[in-house]
Amino acid sequence: MAIQPPPFIHFDHATFGFPGVTALEDISLEIQSGEFVGVIGPNGSGKTTLCRAVLGLMAPLKGHLRIFDCACDELRCHHRAKIGYLPQKGVVDRNFPVTVLETVTMGRYGALGLFKRPGRKDREIAMESLAHVGMDMHKDTALGHLSGGQQQRVFIARALAQQPQILLLDEPTTGLDITTQHNVVELVQHLHEELGLTVLLITHDINMIRSRVDRLVLLKTRLYAAGPPADVLKPDILSQVYGKDLVITENDLVIVEDYHHHH
Amino acid sequence: MLELFTYDFMQRSLLAAALVGALCSTIGVFVVLRGLAFMGAGTAHAAFAGVALGYLMGWPPLLMALLFGLATVWITGWVEEKGRMKLDVSIGILYTATMALAILFIGLMKTYNAEVYGYLFGNVLAVTSEELFTIAGLSIIVIGAIVLFSKELYFIAFDQEMAEASGVPARRVFFLLLTLVALTVVISLKTVGGILVFAMILIPASTAYQLTHSLSTLTWYSIMIGVFCSVGGVLISSYWDIPSGPAIVLLATLLFFVAVLLSPKRQRQSLAVT
Repeated sequence: MAIQPPPFIHFDHATFGFPGVTALEDISLEIQSGEFVGVIGPNGSGKTTLCRAVLGLMAPLKGHLRIFDCACDELRCHHRAKIGYLPQKGVVDRNFPVTVLETVTMGRYGALGLFKRPGRKDREIAMESLAHVGMDMHKDTALGHLSGGQQQRVFIARALAQQPQILLLDEPTTGLDITTQHNVVELVQHLHEELGLTVLLITHDINMIRSRVDRLVLLKTRLYAAGPPADVLKPDILSQVYGKDLVITENDLVIVEDYHHHH
Repeated sequence: MLELFTYDFMQRSLLAAALVGALCSTIGVFVVLRGLAFMGAGTAHAAFAGVALGYLMGWPPLLMALLFGLATVWITGWVEEKGRMKLDVSIGILYTATMALAILFIGLMKTYNAEVYGYLFGNVLAVTSEELFTIAGLSIIVIGAIVLFSKELYFIAFDQEMAEASGVPARRVFFLLLTLVALTVVISLKTVGGILVFAMILIPASTAYQLTHSLSTLTWYSIMIGVFCSVGGVLISSYWDIPSGPAIVLLATLLFFVAVLLSPKRQRQSLAVT
């Protein structure tokens, strides 16, 4: 029997939080290389905590978390550089003086290490990353002059410039219009397929990702379900997490019941 | 005017002004981008309290200034990291507390000490050769550190969490930045003074910020503006016989407002509105 390589991310009965506050409790989850996993759950369910934990910014209070087969509190900078991270969209200062290429080149800094300056190779990688997200013609544009969707593309390119093995996206579609949301998720799926990236996508929008991910993880402090979307999106499981108002329509959309009755 | 350049004291003060101008405007880029403006102002006052204590106790004033400055930046940096309270609150408290200490120390002195006030208002025209060497040596250290860690400093100024997540030792770089701010304040204390040093850190970078969308261009503009204002201010001060600190800072302020008026960013925004 072939020996299975260790999973990229391995939560083993891990609990996270601060003294007196439990953000995530008793999580056991394995994410293998090449998977596309969606993480869903209501507000305050611990999705962002999960994200910080995977980045090695938060050690478990109980249990274990291993990333690249390395204990997460021993995660070194060169490990982190292998995880391309798109943080929740903050308010980008429209006047922050940085060009698109400068932003993407920052993705190289962690991998380069201290004292080394980005060279021609790094600029090539940055340009390649920009091409992947279709923003290469905007390389000299000020970041602040781009639309919200274009900025997300640039930040995804910045994550790609790290040449990561895992792409970790925290609510990448927040604050974008519906077409742009669709385009961003489509881009992520495309990168997953083309570059073979392991993707961990955290989102509110169940309907947007359900047909694209290999597995869904449903969180509300505890892990309620993890598996193929069809197994997770069941009325009894959803009602435990979101309350009884959610229903699944004939064409597999998860919506609030009230709306369903009126239409 | 040209005969001004033949005096030894004038050459010293022009050189000191150019060094301090370059130093303040370089570190200023990161202070402005990282949003540490108020922290720097607090540091300047803390450093002055250190000078006052030094004169009161007969200890080396600049060393005391450095200790007070470092204590202030490290405490505020630590408070920000822990997220215990808003940064402006903790700095506001330290800022006024160190000023109170400074007033207390000066009040405890038996006699009026003109030298202490020199550190408060600055007098670049009185810079001695030894002081010039100290300024030059420390400037090389600070600017060297900035050059060495510039890519990390830019990244944490842009987004510290993103920097940390992508494998940059962001916390350590942040504390390095704080330490460099404290050093810069102490180096500049004698030339521009405790009250005005912060203007020299803030204004050139803010002026440059109005004029460009590129990080590297911003830094070069800031340094050019900083050196121009410092040297120009010294010349104005000796030509018209006015205090050097205010001459430098007011020249920089004037340039800032001109830049705001001419800023391509501002024009773009008003276009967008109409």
